[in-house]
Amino acid sequence: MIDQPVLSFSAPARQTLGARLTSPAVEPVPAELMRLGTGLGLSALYGLALGARVGGAALLAHAGLATAGLALVGVLGLPPLFVLLALVNAPVSPQALFSAGARAVASTGFVLAGLAPSAALLAVTIESPDAAAFVTRAGLTLAGFIGLYQLVNSVRALLSHAPFGTRAKCLAFLGAFCVFAFILAARVWSVLPILKGAA
Amino acid sequence: MTEFQASEPAGSEICRVLDELLRSPKSVAERTRAAGDLRPLFLAALGALLLGAGIFGATLATSRGGAQLLYSGVKLPFALLATLLLVVPAFHAISAGLGRPLGFSSMVALMLAAAGRGALVLIALSPVIWLCFDRGLGYHPGVLLASVCYALSGLAALEVVLRGIGFDLRGLVIVSVFGLVVFATGGQTAWMMRPFLGRPSAQHVPFLRHRESSFVDALAQSARSSLGIYPMERALKRASDRTPRSAGDSDESR
Repeated sequence: MIDQPVLSFSAPARQTLGARLTSPAVEPVPAELMRLGTGLGLSALYGLALGARVGGAALLAHAGLATAGLALVGVLGLPPLFVLLALVNAPVSPQALFSAGARAVASTGFVLAGLAPSAALLAVTIESPDAAAFVTRAGLTLAGFIGLYQLVNSVRALLSHAPFGTRAKCLAFLGAFCVFAFILAARVWSVLPILKGAA
Repeated sequence: MTEFQASEPAGSEICRVLDELLRSPKSVAERTRAAGDLRPLFLAALGALLLGAGIFGATLATSRGGAQLLYSGVKLPFALLATLLLVVPAFHAISAGLGRPLGFSSMVALMLAAAGRGALVLIALSPVIWLCFDRGLGYHPGVLLASVCYALSGLAALEVVLRGIGFDLRGLVIVSVFGLVVFATGGQTAWMMRPFLGRPSAQHVPFLRHRESSFVDALAQSARSSLGIYPMERALKRASDRTPRSAGDSDESR
């Protein structure tokens, strides 16, 4: 009688990648950096899927630009947001905001990676450049909204014990940040060749 | 005798799961979330998916008959399975991103169970389709009827997914967002695998049509046409079609 390993379909007890990336827990900086890096790396998969429409160097160009959009929102948006929140004396530490930002970027990257197989099919098989651009924008918008939703949720949780006036100001700043993030990401992603009619 | 006895428990387990898929979507959804053995559920749902979609595909092709029966019987399960493979990662990511992280194997089991339930409903609807085509239902009403059947089976599948994700506002948002992904991906997959019905007037039955346009383009064009807005080429073609021609140049002969 030989004991052979049996393929098990049962769910593992440990936390899944999705749960780890979107967990609201504030981790030490190295762990948050890891979460951030994982999110950015995952977002490149969506870019690769889009680049499959043309192939070759376009794969790398799309992967780089998809990641750059996310990274720039984090780099250019989060420090000013922290300054504004600190100015109104919001109970948000730099580490907590960094964790919230890492969680948002990781969520966006994870959703983009999840959409990558569908995006690859659509990008490769859709003939019309307009339709390909439409589905690309839809995917980026969906992932971006989920990331912003995570960020707003995380910061709102940090503000739960703040006075009403402070909370209202912080929410206004968060709203402004969302608009800025949307415009900046759209600006960077607009350079994607697939959005410029690459067929 | 020994072999039969050995295989009987697995077979009866699969039958029990099939029964459960139809009668109790809630317990199926709970089973996918529990850390138990999911193999019977995988096998039963996959079997239901292949069989149900195959039967329904072949039934759709009775309007055309011949080789189309085999083609559609093979293509429809393949299209469903391909869609499932493509959209499961998206479902996993969207649900985690919107605050309902589930294990990937649970997610696969949930999607497969939902698709299996939907395919079983397609089996139930197949006699209606066959009867309608047998009584002379035309091509375009046939496409509409098939769409209604897909919608009904989709509703049956939706119940399993909602039970698995959670029957609340957040669950509805997750499933709605995911529905858009399924609609685009499934639509394009099915578009690439056309024809499923086959036009009765067609001279021969192709396994796949030549690559043309896309599902999104077709939807956009249909939406524009329903508003009475036609692209320029179509308008020009229509204008040229209105010029007098000989009978041999008619649309039917081309």
